[in-house]
Amino acid sequence: MTSRARTSGRLGIVLAVAIFAACLLLSLALGPVSLSPAKLVGYLTAGPGAGGPGNTIFWDIRLPRVLLAFIVGASLSVAGVILQDLFLNPLTDPYVTGVSSGAALGATFGIVLHLAPLPWMTVLALAGGFATLGTVWVVARRRGRIDIYVLLLAGVTISYFLTAVISVLMIRAGQDMDAIIYWLLGSFNGRSWPEVEVALFALPFMIVPLFYAREMNILLQGEKRALELGVDVERAKRVLLFAAAALTAIAVSVSGVIGFVGLVVPHIVRLMVGPGHQRVLPIALLGGAAMMGIADLLSRTMLAPSEIPVGIVTTFVGAPLFVYLLRRRRSGS
Amino acid sequence: MSTTRIRRFAAAVLLLAALAIGAIAVSACGSSDSTDTSASPSAGPISVTDDTGATVTLDQPAQKVVSIAPADTEIAYAIGGGSKMVGGTSYDDYPEEAKSLAKVGDFSNPSIEKIVALEPDLVLAAGGIQAGLRSKIEKLGMQVFVVDPTTYDGVMTDITKLGQLMGLEANAAKVVADMTAAKEKAQVRVASLDRPATFIEVYSKPLMTAGKGTFIDDLVTLAGGTNIGAAAGPGFPNFSSEVLVQDDPAVYVAMAGSQSTPGAIAKRPGYSGLAAVKDGKVYVVDDNLIARPGPRLALGLEQLAAMIHPEASPAP
Repeated sequence: MTSRARTSGRLGIVLAVAIFAACLLLSLALGPVSLSPAKLVGYLTAGPGAGGPGNTIFWDIRLPRVLLAFIVGASLSVAGVILQDLFLNPLTDPYVTGVSSGAALGATFGIVLHLAPLPWMTVLALAGGFATLGTVWVVARRRGRIDIYVLLLAGVTISYFLTAVISVLMIRAGQDMDAIIYWLLGSFNGRSWPEVEVALFALPFMIVPLFYAREMNILLQGEKRALELGVDVERAKRVLLFAAAALTAIAVSVSGVIGFVGLVVPHIVRLMVGPGHQRVLPIALLGGAAMMGIADLLSRTMLAPSEIPVGIVTTFVGAPLFVYLLRRRRSGS
Repeated sequence: MSTTRIRRFAAAVLLLAALAIGAIAVSACGSSDSTDTSASPSAGPISVTDDTGATVTLDQPAQKVVSIAPADTEIAYAIGGGSKMVGGTSYDDYPEEAKSLAKVGDFSNPSIEKIVALEPDLVLAAGGIQAGLRSKIEKLGMQVFVVDPTTYDGVMTDITKLGQLMGLEANAAKVVADMTAAKEKAQVRVASLDRPATFIEVYSKPLMTAGKGTFIDDLVTLAGGTNIGAAAGPGFPNFSSEVLVQDDPAVYVAMAGSQSTPGAIAKRPGYSGLAAVKDGKVYVVDDNLIARPGPRLALGLEQLAAMIHPEASPAP
């Protein structure tokens, strides 16, 4: 690595932190009810429960919702980086492993059985996600090795199967059908501190991959080459796959299935700073958080006092940005 | 405290009384059914325009009717057309007899084949997701009457028209008269009162409300409230919980389909400071009374009026 690449990497991280901070501030200040920076400081120093609608909006609704959007965005984005590079497939997103469908099925059961969202729907969603991971894992395991292609195919197939089960439940659900549809669309509306507490469990799984950045770089050249270079390939795959699955399951369990961030943010980051994981992972983490934060900001404000499901906004914002970057890169090289 | 309890008790007694009167009215209509059908073999074709603007023409009053919307089923029974009903959906739950109708599927997915097999001369449908069904059913030679009103008065107009199509004009007029009376009663009750900000929760995750141009919005206005949701646009839009806190509803009414209880609603993040929560004016209302454009809307109106203006409920 040349010193020039290293400075541009460092610059990238500084820039990502700056964008992240700006998006966080914007998300906290703007909304259907706008709060000026001075007011924000006032609410922060006054603390929760100080009274007044502004304080209630900030502490009980705005702050937890923004934090949740940022954590979910970061989780999906990091999971996307891991899975795209493990599968060596640019079309991979966090949902191909079947984990999200498993989590969605768990949540659908929760809705059909009329369980309270917390903790039971979240527990069911997490259980569904991890049970699916276990199944895919067992299918892909041969003589102590995880066959990454079998894993991908098994994940996609099980994902289709689980989606079919969800559809059957949905058709039979009668009046609960709307609830299932809205849950599957994904949203941060009505989420608050209890959901943030669940989402916080995603943080360690975002940190762990950072320690495997070197292994991930080598794995990009194929498993055989990595083995030759002395990488404990199976261990790296186990840790990384589990981290990606945990991030996806946690994200889906608190917010539903929100598309596009996990697919596109890793690509945008690679287009901007190259494939090195020491840079891609932290920048994707910050960038995913910022993009989800902005998407949720738009979903809250564009049609206020109504709202647009956030998954629609991520696609509307992400798709043109991605196409633009693809074009720019091609004409530049 | 005790006065509110007495008021609530009074409201409950009133509701029960209204229910009883409603039931008697409905059964009375039912009993007059035979006389009415035999009395009106009116000459010439019947032609009405439905809520979609389409003209529905029948050579003679419908004798075999299939309803694919629970509200339409309720209207048909209320105007004494129960004996002409040959099919309904699995959603039909009122009146009791409607449950035993031959089922043609559910509200969103009725089977066209089953409808054809029942050989109806009139099919009653709703708007929205059923809009695409109309042409399919009409292509097979059946007449479709769509009930898709946007106001309380619109529901009454539809009841009158269905009375014409089924040859039950007199019964329909009676149902409409009852609904008019309920409306006038509510109007008199709330005429001189302020119009408290009222929020209707259609669904909780995400928070959804009844927007402008819906008969629920009309119902809130008739019941003497101001519908907060009207600002969010037409139909049933999602609603920002931040704006809800800012608008601070004095009355909060959740539809039962939202599966919320007043206790759970009061505990939601940011809700503790709402005037409706502080004053104990958080209610759950039976969806079928305010979300079905049928004769029981009169009852829904009465319940909403009692929730929005409990102080105006006449003493027992």
